[in-house]
Amino acid sequence: MGVVVTGIGVVSALGANPAAFRRALLDGTNACAMHEFARFDGSVVRAPAYMAVPAEPEGLIEPRKLRRMFRLARMSAVAARQALKHAELDPAAMDSSRLGICFGTSFGAMEPTQKFMDSWIENGEASASPLQFMNSVHGILASQIALDINATGVNLTTAQRDICFEAALDTAVGLLEAHRADVILVGGADELTPMLHEFGSHTGQLVLDEVAGLDPWGSRRGVVPGDGAGVFVLERDDSPRRALARVSATRIGRCDTGGANIATELMQSSTPDLLTSNRDGGSRCARLNDKQEAELGLKGVSHRGNFGTWPAAGAVQFAANVLMLNNGEFYVPLASGKPAELKADAPKTILHNAPSISGNHAAYLLALR
Amino acid sequence: MPQSSPLQPVAITGMGVIGAFGRGVTELDRALSEGREGVGPLTLWESTIQGFPVGQYRGDLQRDLDAIAGLTPRIRARLSRSDALALVAANEAVMMSGLEPSQGGAYVGQSVCGTLTTEELYVEARRRAKAREPEKINLSGAFVHEGANTLDRLAETWGLRGPTLSFMTACSSAANAIGLAADAIRAGRCHSMIAGGSDSLSRIAFNGFCSLKVVSPDGPRPFDRDRQGMMVGEGAGMLVLESLEHARARGAKILALLTGYGHSCDAHHLTAPHPEGKGAIAAMREALAMAGLQPGDIGYINAHGTATLDNDRTEARAISAVFGEGNVPVSSTKRFFGHTLAAAGGVEAVVAVHALQQKKLPPNLGLRAPLEDSRLDLVTGTRETPALRHVLSNSFGFGGNNAALVFTEAI
Repeated sequence: MGVVVTGIGVVSALGANPAAFRRALLDGTNACAMHEFARFDGSVVRAPAYMAVPAEPEGLIEPRKLRRMFRLARMSAVAARQALKHAELDPAAMDSSRLGICFGTSFGAMEPTQKFMDSWIENGEASASPLQFMNSVHGILASQIALDINATGVNLTTAQRDICFEAALDTAVGLLEAHRADVILVGGADELTPMLHEFGSHTGQLVLDEVAGLDPWGSRRGVVPGDGAGVFVLERDDSPRRALARVSATRIGRCDTGGANIATELMQSSTPDLLTSNRDGGSRCARLNDKQEAELGLKGVSHRGNFGTWPAAGAVQFAANVLMLNNGEFYVPLASGKPAELKADAPKTILHNAPSISGNHAAYLLALR
Repeated sequence: MPQSSPLQPVAITGMGVIGAFGRGVTELDRALSEGREGVGPLTLWESTIQGFPVGQYRGDLQRDLDAIAGLTPRIRARLSRSDALALVAANEAVMMSGLEPSQGGAYVGQSVCGTLTTEELYVEARRRAKAREPEKINLSGAFVHEGANTLDRLAETWGLRGPTLSFMTACSSAANAIGLAADAIRAGRCHSMIAGGSDSLSRIAFNGFCSLKVVSPDGPRPFDRDRQGMMVGEGAGMLVLESLEHARARGAKILALLTGYGHSCDAHHLTAPHPEGKGAIAAMREALAMAGLQPGDIGYINAHGTATLDNDRTEARAISAVFGEGNVPVSSTKRFFGHTLAAAGGVEAVVAVHALQQKKLPPNLGLRAPLEDSRLDLVTGTRETPALRHVLSNSFGFGGNNAALVFTEAI
């Protein structure tokens, strides 16, 4: 394995760029707040959520390109530009056919999808909006980024529920190892829209009462949702650019029996200083994590109490992990808005374990260069 | 450094297909041989948009599912129409391969996923809200919306332990899923994969393509001078891929080899292809290079050929740029089953492998007069080609997402 991370971009509830994100993690900022969500019947509910702050495209993306982008596309495109800037990589200066994009999103373009459906429900099927339809396809985030930076290489979108970012990462590593690209922007993004909030509320997946924040170690039926985007520049380790961290290994497989085989396999090649996970306090997820962590003999750290949870939140955890390694820091995670009683040294190797309640399972090993 | 030397081929040991022509390779063969088109009325829901035919599967999907041994009532209760299409095609592929697939994984290309279900729920929820009906709709069925649902159900049915991923690159999804699954096998991640694509009809897709004014009132006529657009279809096409060693070790019948995969992005427009087919050319050339072949080695191209004005013009240019004018037989088979969207690369992979096995090229059904500014060798009737060794299948999607696969005769 010879793949390194050379740039980070992140837009989340903890800030509009990697510096703000890091500062918020160091300060233990709790981004959970009460937000209003419109319901189908025209009413409005107030519920806790970790909504990403507005993306700050100034100086990164031309205003004329922004006009065509909906909220999630903006977040993703801005995070992609941040990552390229961080890596000091000018896409115009490289062979565009060797620059690829690999994106994970479970829900994809929900805002345009809802607007598209509304356009025909309200005005008749023959008056459906072509613009919203174009924007509703799942691969739109990767396509918008490709258009913005003229990336003509591989362009892939994976959708695998809770591990969609980890699946994109695994795919990107495979593509780089197979020399199908020289540089890949790997990312993950999902947005919380009123429609998703209503669906999630009806099915009991979301916390609706006022709470201080998500407790990753808790075990309640619902979770406190959020949204955001994380994008990273990934290259083979012969890149001349400074590496922030090294992706030593990735694995994807099934864990229907609840076993931690994939993570165990990775631990055999390197003993991690820190285990991070996709714990989000949801009861099924908590049970799965408890079982696997007992098997691994490690207690998993999740920062979803800081930035919330959504299917592609693994991208934002990845940002936190890279920052911890690169800056020699440990960010104390929050539980219900307060620092968890958890102390650790700055890690040199992180094992991330992401079992999914759908039976899929992802893990990766991240280390100092 | 770009990949320059040919890569190890991957064996195809099973295939399955379902669509407007019916279910299974045998029914597909019959439709292709008889020139039976899949053009018909939309009956899955009552649409107010009239006059546009679709490529709808008209068999009994529930009965088709009965044939799947591992399908428990619990799995069956959690299937969208798209999932059901995927399972039926995958079952045929697995049965044909004789493989016990549990040690492998699955990569599936999708775009519509469970939308047919969730859009119904949304429309009904909006209606009840507007009418101030006190009874709320049960939205618990919405979980089928995500593409991952298909993979989860495939994994449960066959007890898959390997990676199971959904790839969503619009109409090139299945071709990418197949190409990436072969990459995963080559990289040693697993010995076998179920790979392909599935998509059902949905209001979003049908209304969407109608809103773009790219749907034809008389069905698709690919590469025709007077073509009026595409026909939205549904279906699934699945392959069982195995490493050559694995297939040979278990004495499997190898139907064909997957020898090349090319992939690119136009980075030109969200829906329109690059006018010169720049990305399509790159994908076809990469697939050829990976297979270690020259353009002259390809004996047939199954074109993406949606019958839209833009696609066919640019695809014809791209094919001519790579292969020269009229040097290779070309057909689009979309009048047989419509544009099955994300499943297209899977359904047409089955068509391409079948052509290779039968040494018989399927016709470009619906063609009356070829488009004016191209000199493609369009296959107008079933054509026998005893010397056929390599075929190429194109799939192009929104966002300028291009994929090409090369299949080679198994010796």
